[in-house]
This record gives sequence, C-alpha cells and structure tokens, in this order.
Amino acid sequence: MSAPVLAVTDLTVTLNRPGGAPRLLLDRVSLDLGKGEVLGLVGESGSGKSLFCRTLVRLLPSRNMQIENGRIMLGEQDLAQASETGMLSVRGGRIGMIFQNPTSHLDPVMSIGNQLSEGLRYHQKLDAPAARRQAIAILRQVGFPDPERQFDAYPHEFSGGMRQRAMIGVALSCNPEILIADEPTTALDVTIQAQILQLLMDIRRERGLSIILITHDLGIVAQTCDRIAVMREGRLIEQGRKRELLRSPDHFYTKTLIGSHPSMPSPAMEKKALTSPPDFRATRDKPLLKVEDVDVCFAGAGSLLGKQSGSVRAVAGASLEIMAGEIVGIVGESGSGKSTLARAILGLTPITSGNVTFDGTSLRGDPGAFLAKLRRETAMVFQDPYNALNPRMTVGEMLAEVLKVQGRIPQVDIPARVGELLDLVELGREFAERRPRSMSGGQCQRAGIARALAVNPRLIIADESTAALDVTIQAQILDLFRTLKEKMQLTLLFIAHDLAIVRNLCDRVVVMNRGQIVEQGTSLQVFEDPTDSYTQALIRAIPDIDPDKSLLPLADREMA
Amino acid sequence: MHRYKFVLYRPIQFLPVLFGISIVTFVLVRLIPGDPARVLLGTRATPTAIANIRSQYGLDEPMWLQYFYFVKNLFHGEMGKSILYKIDVLKLILTRIEPTLVLVLTSVTLSVLIAVFMAALAARNHGRFADHAVRVVSTAGIGFPPFWLGLMLIILFSVNLDLLPVSGYGRTLGDKVAHLILPSLTIALSLSTVLTRSLRAAMVEGLRSDIATAARARGMPERVVFWRHVFPNSMVPTINLLAINIGWLIGGTVVIESVFAIPGIGQLLVRAIFSRDYMVVQGVAMVLACATVLINLIADIVTVAADPRVKL
Repeated sequence: MSAPVLAVTDLTVTLNRPGGAPRLLLDRVSLDLGKGEVLGLVGESGSGKSLFCRTLVRLLPSRNMQIENGRIMLGEQDLAQASETGMLSVRGGRIGMIFQNPTSHLDPVMSIGNQLSEGLRYHQKLDAPAARRQAIAILRQVGFPDPERQFDAYPHEFSGGMRQRAMIGVALSCNPEILIADEPTTALDVTIQAQILQLLMDIRRERGLSIILITHDLGIVAQTCDRIAVMREGRLIEQGRKRELLRSPDHFYTKTLIGSHPSMPSPAMEKKALTSPPDFRATRDKPLLKVEDVDVCFAGAGSLLGKQSGSVRAVAGASLEIMAGEIVGIVGESGSGKSTLARAILGLTPITSGNVTFDGTSLRGDPGAFLAKLRRETAMVFQDPYNALNPRMTVGEMLAEVLKVQGRIPQVDIPARVGELLDLVELGREFAERRPRSMSGGQCQRAGIARALAVNPRLIIADESTAALDVTIQAQILDLFRTLKEKMQLTLLFIAHDLAIVRNLCDRVVVMNRGQIVEQGTSLQVFEDPTDSYTQALIRAIPDIDPDKSLLPLADREMA
Repeated sequence: MHRYKFVLYRPIQFLPVLFGISIVTFVLVRLIPGDPARVLLGTRATPTAIANIRSQYGLDEPMWLQYFYFVKNLFHGEMGKSILYKIDVLKLILTRIEPTLVLVLTSVTLSVLIAVFMAALAARNHGRFADHAVRVVSTAGIGFPPFWLGLMLIILFSVNLDLLPVSGYGRTLGDKVAHLILPSLTIALSLSTVLTRSLRAAMVEGLRSDIATAARARGMPERVVFWRHVFPNSMVPTINLLAINIGWLIGGTVVIESVFAIPGIGQLLVRAIFSRDYMVVQGVAMVLACATVLINLIADIVTVAADPRVKL
C-alpha cells in the first residue's frame, strides 16, 4: 500500500452535556486509508461508524460533541485542527460524502442538474454554461440515460436507485479524492444494490478515488472492499485485509457478526439439507390458506374533471397454498406486489377477482364469516417495530388490550397470560411495565410478535419484520420465529426483500415480480436451482460473504 | 404544463362557493334589525314615505323574489343600486377599491418580508438571544389585537413623533404612500407573527435536515446552505399558512380602514351595515369573497411553482 491519503490516529470524540459527565463516543480510533483503496467500515447501529466519518469532515451532529483528542491527517493538513473556513474546501472538494437515504439528502425543490452545478461552480469555479456541460457529463458517467433532459428533472421524478446515482453524481461534482459512502445501498433492492456497488467500483477505477464504505452487511464488504475495519461501541476492535479478516477473525464480536450473516448456512439449514424437507403436499390435509388466481387492481389517480389515468394491476393471477405448520416466504423487490398480496389475503385490500380460502371458509362464499374468522385466527407483524406499537401504552397494557378484545380468557387470567406471552418471545416479565420508547428495536419487535401471538393465531403474516433490525438482532428474531413454529405449530407467511433471510427461515419460497408469481418451490429447490430467469438474477445479486463468489465482474481488482 | 392545469378548472369549483356566499350574505344582512328606508328617512318619516322607498328598491317583494333578482343581476354584472349613495353598487365599489387593494398588497408583502427576516434571524441563532427575542416578540404579537396596535402606532409615529399622517388617504402618490405606511405596518405586524412562528420552526428543522447536512458535506458555506437549500424548502408550508390567513387579512383590513379612516371598501362595508344599505353590503361581500377565492388560487399557483412535487 502506498502512503495513506488519510491517516487517523487516536481520534476521540466526547459528548459533553451541560451538567453531566462527558460521554465517550469515539475512543482512540486509529485508521489509515490508502490511495485508491476501498475500506469497509462495519458495525451495528450505534457502533460509531457514521459518527467517525462525520468527524472526519468535522460535521458532528450536535454542538455538544467535540473532538477531544487525536489527529486526522489529510496529506499534510490536520483536519482536527483546521479552521472552519479551511474545512469548507475540504468538505466536498477533498472528502465527499454520500448517504443512505438519497430521498432525504437531495434537495426536493432544486433540479438534479442544479445540485450538481452547485458543487462544480463552488469548488471548481466553473461558470454556468461550463458547469452545465460538466454536470451533464457526470450524470452520464453515473448512469443517467438521457442527461441533457434529466438535468432539469427533480429528485422525486426518479426511482430510489436513480436518486442514489444522482447523489453520487453530486458528490463527484466537487471532485473529491476520498468518498465516504454511508450505507449507500441499504435502502435499495438487491439488483439495484449490485448496480450501485458496481458504479462505485467503476468510479474508483476511473478516478483513482479512495472509498470508505460504511455498511452493516458483511456480504457487501466481502464483495467490494480491500480492507475491513470493525467498530463496536465507539472503538475500532479489529482491522485487516479482507480475506484474512473474514477467514480468521480475532475478535469474538467479529466472529458473531460473520456467523449471523444470513448467507452463511445456518445449522438448521444444514440439517434440512441432509434430511430432505418434509413434503407438506404429500399429506392429505387441506391447505390452511388457499389463494386462487387473485387479481388486485388499483384505480389510477383521477381528478374532478380529468379522466382516470388507467388502473394499475398490483397483483396479477396469484395462486398459492399454505399448509398448516409451514413457513412460506414471499420474496420480491419493491413494487413486486408482495405486500399487496398479503394485504389482500387479510382482507385489507379488496381483490378484483379470484378467491381466498382460509380453513374452509372462502372470501367469495361468505365474506362476512371469512373476515371474522381471519381476524380471529390470523395476526400480523410489521416492519417498523417502533411505529407499530402505541407509544403511550406499556407492553403489558397493549397485550391485555388484545386479550380483552378477544374475550377468550377470563379477565382475572389476563395478567398471567401476558406473562406467558412475554416468556414465549423471550422477553423478561418486567417488560410488561415498559413502553416502546425505552426499548431497543429488537425488543420492540419481540413485543410486536407477542401481540400477534396474543390472539392465538393459526397464521401469522410477517411483513418485512426483520428489515429494520441489525444483523445480529435479525438472527435472533429469526431464531425466535423458528422456535415458535416448533412450539406452537404456527403457520407463517414471511414477506421479505432479503433473499438470504427467506432462504434461512422458510420451508417454501414464492418469488414475485411485477405482480406475478414467477416461481415457487421448496427453499432448497428455488435457491439452489432456480428455473425462472428473474429468480436467477435476483439470487445472483445477493452479495455473498465469500469474496470468491464474485458479485461484480470488476470489483475484485484488489489493491496489491 | 400539466401541473398548472388546475388554473383552468379551479374557477368552476368556485361557482358553488360563490353561490353559497351569496345566500349567506343575503340572509344575514336582512337578519339585522332595522330597515334601510327608516335609516335613510330618519325617525320622523311618514309610513307612506317609507313604503315608497321600500317599493322603489323592491324591498316590499317576498324574500325569495328579492334573492332571485339579486342573482339575476349578478349574472348581468350588476349589483343593484345603493340606497344611501343613490348610485350603482359596482361603480361605488370601483371608486373605493384602490386604497383597499394597495393596502392588502403592501401589507402581505411587508408581512412576508418581516417574517422571513425575523425567522431567519431566529433560526440561524437557534437557542441564543436573538432566537428567544424573536419568539417572545412574535408570541406577544399574537396577543395584540390589530386595531390596538394601529392606535399605538398612531400615537407613537403621528402624535408624538409627528412623522406620518394620523389618518385618511392622499391624492398624490407620495401622499398616498405616507398615508399607507402605518396601516400596512399594523396589518403586517399582526400577520407576520403567525408567519414568523411557522417559518422559524420550518427553518430550524431545515437546518437540522439531511438536505442541510448533505449541502454542508459538499463544503457549502452556512450562508449558502441556509438561503439556497433551507429557505426555499421552509417557504413551502408557509405559503399555505399565508393562504389560510387571507380571510383573516381581509377581515383585518375592514377594521384597519376604520381605524385609519381610509376610504376603501372596508370602510364602505362598515357604513353600509350601519345604514342597512343591503345592496352595498351584498355587493362588497361578494367582491371580498371573490378576492379571497382568487388569492387562494394565486397561493396554489405559487405553491406549485415553489415545490415541484406538488400536483393539484
């Protein structure tokens, strides 16, 4: 490795609350970044990885935070000591940043082109026409198909992937030497994620850019980075070359992190592979849930006098069966209709045609009885664990409310049942007194699952229930689902965009694309030997934790 | 551009609104005790004279027929004849509209300028003295009724400092400007308190937003971050708030014209109500309703122009 472009030594950041003891947020972090190197910075939420990167450009999120100690050497300049005016030319001009959520980081009332021109005019002192020409060139480089026209478009007119491309373009417009990418693909679908990662690698190659890639996904790191640094609780606990670190991690935490990566075959998975999965179809039981040729159409937006602008077919001719005791996963990218299908099954969205049968009662036969039965015997677990819980209620009150409405057990037994439910989801009984505010994401999700279990459901529909959680927490929740299935003979319909999770958890998988079911079969079958071309592309796009299973054709040009 | 298509069909939606307003004003003005003929002729008028006047203005017809004539006239662009001034109501309104129009325009402009200045000052010094000062002033301002504020300004600038005229409206341009400063300022100060609070909150949030962080991460100086990114974004909700307050503004203008004795349509309305000049009250109410509706349309156009995401 050549001389580092950025050398950080003993960087320490504290939070000084007035009237409180200072809290250590970053504890003596030392890290080098070589020219043209891609450094993966991994860790869970709250580990300090984002704070570290914001400290590099001295954009601390609060006035109460300050750099206590340490040096940030960018070439000959110590950024920890630089003046605020000095930092203006460093930010953007030498160290650029892109963020997780392009929608909130791009200015919605300014055209994409003008946002690029801003950097060009400010850092490279170009005049307006030159900036426009240059901005169009950058837009083309980051993959806009028609940059002359798209220069004047606004962020909301683009998809999430294109917005992320635009944000990369905005960062490039300042012509930086170092790019900090903070979870740049977390909000994107896998196939788009692969494209964005490819773009970053291309830019690195073309511009000799050094990249710090912050991510929680070790798969991405394995596929793109040269070196890995692992952070936890404000400390850098381990760093090293990618292959060595992945092969033989020193730190216990790194081992856990690698172990909980969903693309690693779990012990359960290996067992399943040996003893072929129980074939539910062979049993003579009728399916618990049967979806026949369901169509869901949404009317297009109409106005008082304007004509209706056509309807959208969100789900087209979907048919599937779920046997009792089965875990079925529905996977697909955003907009594939997987959530709409789930809502249609629960009767939350009217179906246009087709039929849904749940344990003998059908939607077409007797809608009233069907819905009543569904509401009694199914439950849903949601994506965002915080927003799905009422912030004003304690977990105990929330569970008691469900039990009271159900009216199946006498009033006096409710507290005991609440305790049982908490035991089931492996939360301590003291959580009955807690409110969501004082709980972590994983604990909230357990409470959400307890609420689903409170109705004694025969079928649970989990819509992206682990998408908002850290990997190690994700692994715990998946374990919980598995245990519950064993204990309670639950049937689970698990909706996710994360294929690795579905592969880990589900017996059967249903793949959706543009409202249609393109493939279904046992997990093993679908993931090992997909027949549909879309499924194949989807599976290829999962970043594997094994660097030798290459995701990107050009990514594997490691630094010598 | 199709985003502005609503400008074409929105006026059709106005029709039911105006129809409703015509009924309400027609009925309300007749619910006030008293009789225009009696007000006009004085207390010693003979019953015959009163009956004459009543039949002359059609006041002896049944209510529904009177309303029918009122609406029929409206379609012909007429609003009947003033009982008090003995001239066509529309002509009467046109001679009085200029001061009101100028007053509304200047006070809206002034209040936006004041609000932007105060809110920017507060937001950019969030949590410091300037911020607290702006918050105290704008909160206190909400508590002051505009007519009281107007009287205080008269006492300060006209009576004590003798800088500006006490009341009335001038003939030359310079004279008119001098007469309009205090009333515009009165309305603007009252209106700007509400705007300042909303704008300040939006700006404080904007300075903490991801948009601002992203701009700072590109090396933009704080001035650019604020005026180019935070300010346009924070104006979007404020435009809506301003539109909502237009009704209040027009009502306020009526009061302020009385305080400053400005011969606008607000003052005309007040006199017409006291003399039970039904035709004038109806006419002015219709004009003010049209103005409110029109200003809301303008606010919508501005919103669409300010925020490319909005579709109406």
